Amino acid sequence: MDLASIYYLGVTILLFLVFAAIVARTYSKKHKASGEEPKYRMMNDDHPEENGKGGRDVRRK
Amino acid sequence: MNQQEGYADDVVKGFITWSMVWGLVAVLVGVLISFQIAFPQLNLPPYLTYGRLRPIHTNAGIFGWGIGSFMAFFYYITQRLTRTGIWSPGLARVQLWLFNLAIALAAVTLALGMNRSKEYAELEWPVASLVVVVWVIFAINIVMTIVKRREEQMYISLWYILATLVGVAVLYLVNNASIPVSLTKSYSAYAGANDANVQWWYGHNAVAMVLTTPPLAIFYYFLPKATGVPIYSHRMGVIAFWSLIFMYLWTGAHHLLWAPVPDWVQTLAMAFSVMLIAPSWAAVFNGYFSMNGQWHQMRENYLVKFLIFGITFYGAQTLQGPSQSIRTFSAFIHFTDWVPGHVHMGTLGWVSLVLFAAIYYTLPRIYGTEIYSIRLANVHFWLVLTGQLMFSISMWIAGVQQAAMLNATNPDGSLHYSFMETMIEIYPYWHIRALGGVVYLAGLCVFLYNIWKTVAGAKTQGAAQPA
Repeated sequence: MDLASIYYLGVTILLFLVFAAIVARTYSKKHKASGEEPKYRMMNDDHPEENGKGGRDVRRK
Repeated sequence: MNQQEGYADDVVKGFITWSMVWGLVAVLVGVLISFQIAFPQLNLPPYLTYGRLRPIHTNAGIFGWGIGSFMAFFYYITQRLTRTGIWSPGLARVQLWLFNLAIALAAVTLALGMNRSKEYAELEWPVASLVVVVWVIFAINIVMTIVKRREEQMYISLWYILATLVGVAVLYLVNNASIPVSLTKSYSAYAGANDANVQWWYGHNAVAMVLTTPPLAIFYYFLPKATGVPIYSHRMGVIAFWSLIFMYLWTGAHHLLWAPVPDWVQTLAMAFSVMLIAPSWAAVFNGYFSMNGQWHQMRENYLVKFLIFGITFYGAQTLQGPSQSIRTFSAFIHFTDWVPGHVHMGTLGWVSLVLFAAIYYTLPRIYGTEIYSIRLANVHFWLVLTGQLMFSISMWIAGVQQAAMLNATNPDGSLHYSFMETMIEIYPYWHIRALGGVVYLAGLCVFLYNIWKTVAGAKTQGAAQPA
């Protein structure tokens, strides 16, 4: 097996592991409630939370 | 008063209006070219020939109607799912004007014969560069709106929106890499089999990132809104999204089976195409399971009819597509009328039915009124459904017959039928296709009339209100 084949195989395995991690996290019991929460919250999104445009970056909490 | 005050919806109105204009152009030109195929004497050179009009039809349909609507609904959906206004409404207005300029320039230059001769990437470099500017503005505005969101968790539609923005940008830039030799002529940066491979990596993933992920974003948002019941499983939506993204970008070379590209590339494309059934049907099941206890709405709620038939055509499309990627079946139906039958089930059935529902849902809300006529919306539904089925079924039958005749051989191995004999047998189906196009066009006219009366009624109501 040459270097290029090892590289391609490595990338493939890496991508598969990333996908498996996403599946494991999404379907873990710990994240069940939070994983389904957006489908309920989107049902009542016809009004912005505050008046005015813009907002804040929630990831900076 | 607009019940959704606080969101910047003027640009949504603008994109919806213009996408409907370009949609009408696409269907009108489509009907014309379907008649030109059935009656070749209708080709009037040099401008009104099938060769010039066909790319105008596809560009107006996919980019004018499709992308125009997606821009509208991405702005509509993103604002609501992030609970914040568009990052820059001014930039969105600039984008609307540049978008229309690009589509108008596309129509004019293609009619004049300026064409890169690449499927779905026909635009010459000045117009293609303008498209890049439009997309960059669009992406910045949506991404910044999401960055400044007030909802911590992102609903599944937002993932599909982000994937579309990134996917289209990468595909378009790579496939449009070219060397200009004048203002109206350029040559591809790639050559031979590499050019073909890049082109079909783009060509098929334009289907992925323009005609699959955006309608899914819209479907996942508007089905719960229309039924009043949340989708069956958000987590299933997330997993389906990631598996779709991981797999779709490898499938383009299934357009090059039996072509001189490496065998492993063809096999990889075929394998990933078949695996794509799983994430595609996860979305279909998510839609169907969301209807548990709600199936009565198929009779009572015209929006649900559009959405559920739309996802059903998506399901049919995503069974046909993978099966067509298998070598033996591909060899049978490639270069036959089966292919336009397949493609139009996707565009007229899946994409357009979902967009019709989204427009019916959205416009009355942002104009603060009611739909003019639900009865007319039902007439519209049955006309476009009939037209699409006439088109697709006639082409499927024509394709199988064509393939059977083209593959028939005599005992000595020579072809049993001449090419002309196969053509003559297909004419009745071409007549049915043209008629199907007329029926679909009639449905579209009913839709436009209904929308026009809805908007006109809203303006009248607004004017009649005391100051």
